[in-house]
Amino acid sequence: MSNEHFQTLSPRLKVLNHDQVMAIHEGAMQILATTGFKMEHDQARKMLIDAGCRVKNDQWLTMGPELVNQALESAPKFIDLYDQSGRPAMRLENENCYFGTGSDAIFTIDLETGRRREAMLKDVGTFARLVDGLDNIDFVMSMANPKDVDINAIYVSVFAEIVKNTNKPVVFIADSGRDIAQIYKIAQSICGDKKVGEKPFLLNYSEAISPLRFPENVVEKLIFCAKHSIPVCFPSGSNAGGGAPVTLAGAMALGIAENLVGLVIHQRTNSGAPFLFGPNVSALDMKSTVVSYGCPEWSLTQAALADMRDELYGLPIWAYAGASDAKVMDAQAGAESMFSICTGLLSRANLMHDVGFLEFGSTSSLEMITMADELVAMAKFFKKGIEVSAATLALDVIDSVATSGSGSIFLTEDHTFDHFMEAQYLPRLLDRSRYDSWRQNGGMDLYQRCNQRSREILENHQVVAKADSVMEEIDRIVAQTGK
Amino acid sequence: MSEIKVLADAVIKADAAAAKEQTQKLLDAGIPAQEILDVGLITPMDEVGERFSKGAMFVPQMLRSAKTMQQCMEIIKPHFQEGDVSFKGKVIIGTVKGDLHDIGKNLVAMMLEGAGFEVVDLGVDVSPQRFVDEVKNEKADILAMSALLSTTMPAMRETIGVMETGGQRGTIKIIIGGAPVTATYAEEIKCDGYAPDAGSCVTEVKKLLGV
Repeated sequence: MSNEHFQTLSPRLKVLNHDQVMAIHEGAMQILATTGFKMEHDQARKMLIDAGCRVKNDQWLTMGPELVNQALESAPKFIDLYDQSGRPAMRLENENCYFGTGSDAIFTIDLETGRRREAMLKDVGTFARLVDGLDNIDFVMSMANPKDVDINAIYVSVFAEIVKNTNKPVVFIADSGRDIAQIYKIAQSICGDKKVGEKPFLLNYSEAISPLRFPENVVEKLIFCAKHSIPVCFPSGSNAGGGAPVTLAGAMALGIAENLVGLVIHQRTNSGAPFLFGPNVSALDMKSTVVSYGCPEWSLTQAALADMRDELYGLPIWAYAGASDAKVMDAQAGAESMFSICTGLLSRANLMHDVGFLEFGSTSSLEMITMADELVAMAKFFKKGIEVSAATLALDVIDSVATSGSGSIFLTEDHTFDHFMEAQYLPRLLDRSRYDSWRQNGGMDLYQRCNQRSREILENHQVVAKADSVMEEIDRIVAQTGK
Repeated sequence: MSEIKVLADAVIKADAAAAKEQTQKLLDAGIPAQEILDVGLITPMDEVGERFSKGAMFVPQMLRSAKTMQQCMEIIKPHFQEGDVSFKGKVIIGTVKGDLHDIGKNLVAMMLEGAGFEVVDLGVDVSPQRFVDEVKNEKADILAMSALLSTTMPAMRETIGVMETGGQRGTIKIIIGGAPVTATYAEEIKCDGYAPDAGSCVTEVKKLLGV
């Protein structure tokens, strides 16, 4: 056995069998073929009718399986996202998992006072800079719907604030075909000579309205992204009990049906353009009527979607993790964050957003993101599994320590020195100190430690600077918007 | 248990069949329609509202009670003279211009109806002018506006502006809500009320009308 090395099993979660996958897919196909969908974008409706969709009445169309199959066939099986310097950053496919923040929270927990207050444009930059300085958070979303900007230019201002404060890939929101064109101009100024779609650093998030309604402005953005090869995701909010039936299978079938309509429009606009698959299927809370960001339902449906990707669709998938319904970063926030991070990783969700949200996405928290950075590292360690080889079985070391008599301990062995860094998970923020030293060091809880760490990063981390000319161009584009 | 209490109980338990049967029985026994409405339907719905806000009842149960109440209303309606039914108040509700989201708005409308208000639902994508016209036509007590998108929130301010210009602002109380809407915003655009969710909208509307 001396030099044998065994393939390492990477632990994995499965929640659907093949028959279940096919039944949900067939359900989605039946929704499209019989119930149909309401397409409010004239050009897309005409395109779909020309392609073979039937008019049910007025703006309602039905769609057969051929169109869906063609679109699934032509959509790329992986999506490459780059950082803003044009270096490869994320390849969205099968086994790869990436984490990032969310968008459009109205409130934030103030780093100085610890109080919840309305979010401002400056916060967008602060969140982007923090993420830029965290190793395990891969992409940036706005985290805020800032109060202090002109609402007509909000998404352009927010995008500008993000790119000024991070070099990482960006997932962005736009309102319609109008502001997305301005955002594209900013992206173009960052990409310089090459086209944005060649090495995209950005991905658009747009959503239809469940059940089965496709507003004009939403489809406009989808078509814009297809034409310019900007990666896009199109997850409607088919939340169980809200936009969709309360039972998860039906909510998934509905969300997938909606996503497939988006995919068909997208691929018929530009065959082979990058599309990130998957709906948002969380649960509407039956007491508060909020859509939960910490529930096991959402973890289940995205694990199920990962199974559907593996069994059937083959496209990279959109997901969420690291968020909570708690109002402050308490034990609930820790438990819910870690639950979705673990299940997301173990089911190989490819792009997980919403890291750092409290209050079901209404409040953002810098400390939550810093905590998630650590939790992701911990979960990734688990996902790696256990390497089994002569070196890790270490039978010779066992023999040597056990038989060499008194004074011999594993801690002094070369084997320990050589391996401990990768053999063990070495936490940075999770505290394992003895009581007295914890007390001496200020007796801080995890929230306080995350607050301190966030401040350190924001103070010391240097973001790759953009050329002055690019910064000026960004400001010029923002100034033009909304006028 | 009094005969009318049997009805009230059926409403709380959301047993539509039993409630309808009991409503008919009470009418047949000559109990006045207004008494059936007040004691047999509105009182238990107040109780349902209370239980719901305490977290002792789930949304689908509360809505089923409201539906049960509505079905009983249909039975007693013919026994009222035209315009004789006394509601707690009349609410005009809609999602503002440019916004097509209606789950929250529909929920609020159903809960208000369940609580004994007359509700005129204008649907989604309602223009400021349409809101203003309906306020005039319907002689409502409350205007309730909803928005899910922050980009459509300015339509709330716009609607209130049109009312101020037209001189109708003083004739009605305005309440707003929806995911991006905050109490500060409601204050800023001079609304009379704000509700973060459907349950508290009912409470707020009751407070505004003193009922």
